[in-house]
Amino acid sequence: MKIAEKKALKREAIIQVSLELFSTNGFHKTTIPDIAKKLKMSVGNLYNYFASKDVLAKEIIKYTSNVLADEIEKVNKKDISTKDKIKDIVTLYFQMAKKRPEMIEYFLRVYLSHREVFNNGCEGMLCISRFITEIMVFFNNGVASGELKNQDFFSAFGLFMGYLGGMVFLKGESVLPKDIEEYIDDISINIFNALKA
Amino acid sequence: MIVKKIIEKIEGETELDFTFRNKRIEDIKINYGFSRGIENILINKSAMDALVITPRVCGICNHAHLIASVKALENGYLKAGIEARLTEKAKDIREFTLTCELIQNHIKWLYLTIIPQLEKITLTKTNENHALKASYLASTITKALAIFAGQWPHSSYAIPFGVTCDPTYVDIIQAENIIDETIKFFEQIVIGMKLDKILEISSVVELPKIGGDFGRVIQLLISNNMTDIGKSHSRFIVFGDSSLFKKGKSIPTQISNVDIRFIKEHSHLNTVAKDIVYKNKHYEVGSLARGMINKQPIIKNLHKRYKDSFLTRIFARVYEIGILLNHSKKLLSNLDINQPSCSFNSNIKIDNFNGVGIVEAARGSLIHKTKVENGLIKEYKIIVPTQWNLSQGDKNEQGVAIKAMIGLKDIEKATFVFRSFDVCSVCIIK
Amino acid sequence: MKKLPKLLWLQSISCNGNAHSFFNHPEFFLIMSYFELIYHPLLDTKYNFTDIAEKKLDCDILILEGSFKKDLTKYGINIYNLIQDYANRARWIITVGTCATFGGVFKENEPENISGFCFNKDEKKLEYQKYAHKLISISGCPIHPKWLSYVLLMLSKNKKIPIDEFHRPQELYGITVHTGCSRSEYFEWKIDTKGWGLKEGCLFYENGCQAPFTRGSCNRILWNDISSKTIAGTPCFGCTEPEFPKSFLFQTKTNMGIPAKMPLGIPMRAYLTATGIAKSFTIKRLEQKIIDYDSQKNN
Repeated sequence: MKIAEKKALKREAIIQVSLELFSTNGFHKTTIPDIAKKLKMSVGNLYNYFASKDVLAKEIIKYTSNVLADEIEKVNKKDISTKDKIKDIVTLYFQMAKKRPEMIEYFLRVYLSHREVFNNGCEGMLCISRFITEIMVFFNNGVASGELKNQDFFSAFGLFMGYLGGMVFLKGESVLPKDIEEYIDDISINIFNALKA
Repeated sequence: MIVKKIIEKIEGETELDFTFRNKRIEDIKINYGFSRGIENILINKSAMDALVITPRVCGICNHAHLIASVKALENGYLKAGIEARLTEKAKDIREFTLTCELIQNHIKWLYLTIIPQLEKITLTKTNENHALKASYLASTITKALAIFAGQWPHSSYAIPFGVTCDPTYVDIIQAENIIDETIKFFEQIVIGMKLDKILEISSVVELPKIGGDFGRVIQLLISNNMTDIGKSHSRFIVFGDSSLFKKGKSIPTQISNVDIRFIKEHSHLNTVAKDIVYKNKHYEVGSLARGMINKQPIIKNLHKRYKDSFLTRIFARVYEIGILLNHSKKLLSNLDINQPSCSFNSNIKIDNFNGVGIVEAARGSLIHKTKVENGLIKEYKIIVPTQWNLSQGDKNEQGVAIKAMIGLKDIEKATFVFRSFDVCSVCIIK
Repeated sequence: MKKLPKLLWLQSISCNGNAHSFFNHPEFFLIMSYFELIYHPLLDTKYNFTDIAEKKLDCDILILEGSFKKDLTKYGINIYNLIQDYANRARWIITVGTCATFGGVFKENEPENISGFCFNKDEKKLEYQKYAHKLISISGCPIHPKWLSYVLLMLSKNKKIPIDEFHRPQELYGITVHTGCSRSEYFEWKIDTKGWGLKEGCLFYENGCQAPFTRGSCNRILWNDISSKTIAGTPCFGCTEPEFPKSFLFQTKTNMGIPAKMPLGIPMRAYLTATGIAKSFTIKRLEQKIIDYDSQKNN
C-alpha cells in the first residue's frame, strides 16, 4: 500500500475514533491525548494529521457532510420520482443514524451546539457546503419537474432537515418506541405532502 | 384618373392612391401594409414585459414608447392604490433621454428627408452629404441618452416609479459635454446663429437672421412659392404633459383643454390603420401643434402670416430642436444625485389595474393603455401620433395630411407635403 | 478601380431598429464607402422599392432585417419570394436582428407562420439547407452597429469569419454579455442588488438578468460607445438568443431560490458550491455603497 493511501486511512481512522469519543463523552471532555490513546498513536503524531482540536473539529464536520452528500448525490442522479427520492433520502439518513450514529450525533450535538468552535474557517455553511449543494440540487430538480411547490429555500430546507434531525435527536434520547427505520414511510409521506406542488 | 405611388423612406413605406380631376388632386387614399400585431403579442404577457415589447413598435421612436408604457403602468398602480412617487431626479432623467430621442428624430427628418427632397424639387442639389450630418448628430445625441438609459435603440431603463440607472457626476458631466457639442454643431451648421438668439426670434420679419441649413430651407421654401401649400384644418392637439410641453388643443389659435375620453377610433375597410378623431374632428399633432398650444411667439406669428402651411410646419419642427436642446441643458443642471433613482417596491403585488400613459413623441402625442388581470396583460392599446395626421378622414371631413395635399397639381409636390407630416409608417402598422 | 461590392438591405416584418442602430455607427459613411449601396431603408439610393421589386438587380451582399412569413405581401409584391430571389443571387446573406435570424418579437404574433430566415427559433428551416453556405447571422434586438460593420468589413476583405452553430460570428458571440459587466464583482461574491436604481449589486439573482447565459459583446463593445444595459442597471433580456423574448423579463425565475438557468456551461453543482462559499462570507466593501455623498458634505 502506498504511503499516501496509508495516510488517508489513518486520517479517516482518527476521524472515526474522534467521532465516537465526542459523541459518547462530549466535545469539551474529550481531549487529543484521549483520542491518541484510543488509536495507540503518539500525541505528536496525531498533531501531524490535525494541527489542533479545533482544526480536527472542522475537518470532521466536512467529512460527515461529504459522506452524507455522496449518498444524497447518488439519490439525486437516480431516474425516479421526487416522492421516491424523498423516501430514499429519509432512508439513508435514518440508516446512517442506526449504523453510524456518531456521525449524525456529532452534527446535532457538536456542530450545532458549539458554534464558537466553528466560527473561524467554517463561516456560514462553508464546511457543510457539499451537503447543502446536494439538497439544493434535490429541491431544484423537484421544482423544475413540477413535483414540488416553489418556495423559499430555507422554508423547505428547515422542514425537511429539521424534521429528520428532530427524529434522530429523539432516537438519541431513547424516546422513540419503535426502531427508527419503521418511521421511514410515514415521515417520507409527511415530507412529500408538505412540499408537493 | 388614379395614380398609385409608393412613398418610401418615411420609416417604412406607404402607398398613396391619388385621384386626379382636371389635373388636380381631388382625393387621396392611404394604404398601409400588414399589421405586425404588437397589441396582440402583448396579450398574456406579464405587465412589466410591455416595457421590453413596446419599444419594438418602432426603431426611431422606441424610447417614446418605453416612456408611454411605463407611465401607463404607473397610472394603473396609482389608481389601484399604490402610494409611490417618481423622484424629481428620475422624472428629469426620463425627460432628458426622451428629449434626446426627439432631437435625433427631428434631425434625421431634416437631413434625410426634407433637405434632399427640397433640393430635388427646387433643382438646387449640392454635393454636400447631408446624411452625414444626420449620422453625426444622431450618434452624438443618442450617446448622451445612453449614458442614462444604457443603449439606444431599445432601452428599457424606465420602470415603475423610477429609472434603473444610478448616475454619478462623471456621467452627468459627460452628458452635458455632449449636449454642448451638439448645440455648437446646431449653431454653426444648422442655424448659423446662437441658440439663445434663435429662441428670442418672435416675428416673421426676423427669419432672414437664420442662416445655416435651416436658413437655406426657409429661403428655398419662400422663393419657390411653397409658403401657400400644405394647409389643412389648422386644428392642433397635444395630449402629453411634461415640464416643456403643455397639453391642450388650438383651433386655430383658440386654446382649450383636452380629455382623452373624447378620442374615437374608426376602422376603415381594406386598411389596417384606423381613423382617429377628437369630438368628431380631425386634429394635427406634432411640433407645430406643440408650438401653437405652448403659444411659441414665432410659431404663432408664422401661423398668423402663413397659416398651417408647409413652411409653418417645417419651421416648427426644426425650431423645436433648438427648444429641446435648450431644455435638455436645464434638465441636466437640475439633477440632484442624492435622490433615489427608483421608489418602486416590487414586493407590493398589485395584479389588477388599468392605466393610461401619454407622452409627446417626435411626431406627436403617443398614448398607451394597459389592462392587467392577475398580473398579465389582458388588453393593450396603442394610439400612435401618425394615426392623427394620417387619418383617412370620413364623410364629414378629410384627414389632416390628405386635406393638405388636395388641390395640388404635381405628385412630387404632394409627396413632399406628405413627407412634411412627420409620418412613421412603421408605428402605424403596429 | 476595384469594383465595390453591391449592398442591398431588404426588410420584411421589422421595426427598423437595426437600420437605425447601424446608422448610429460613428464611422457609418466610412464603412458605406467600401460598398455600392443599392438599397437602404433610410438613405437615398439610386433604386427605389419598385425597382428592387421589378428589376433583377445585382447584389453581392444581401442584408435582411425583420421576420418572415411565407405569404407576406406589400403593395402587391410577395416579399418572401422577392427576398428568396435576391438570396439566390447574392454572394453573402446577412440576417441582422433576432427577428430575421430566429423570429424574434414579431414571431410572437403568429408563432406557427412567422420565423427567421433560416432558423425558426433554434430549429433549422428548409431555407437553411439552401443558404447555409453563405449565411452570417447577427442576432440582437437591435444589433450593435459595430457587429454589422465587423461582418461587412471582414467580407469586403475576403476574410473568413469563424461562426457558431447559428452562424453568428464567434469573435462577437463567443463570450457572454456578462463578460466585462461593471457589476461582475457583485456577481462573484453573490451580492444581489436591492431593488432597482443602484449601481451596487448584481442583477442576476432577483432582477432577471440573463447576461451570464446570453451570448454577445455588449459589455466589451459598449453601446453608443459609452454604456450597456447592465451598466445602467437594466437586466439583460437575452435578445441575441433564439428564445427571445422570454416572459417575466424583470424577474429571475428560481426553483426554491436557486436560479432556474445556470450561467453558460457552468454545472449546477459547481455553481451552487461556489455560491455557498461566497455567501458564507460578508465582504464589507461590497455590501456598502461605493460613494458616500453625505460624508463629503462636511468637507
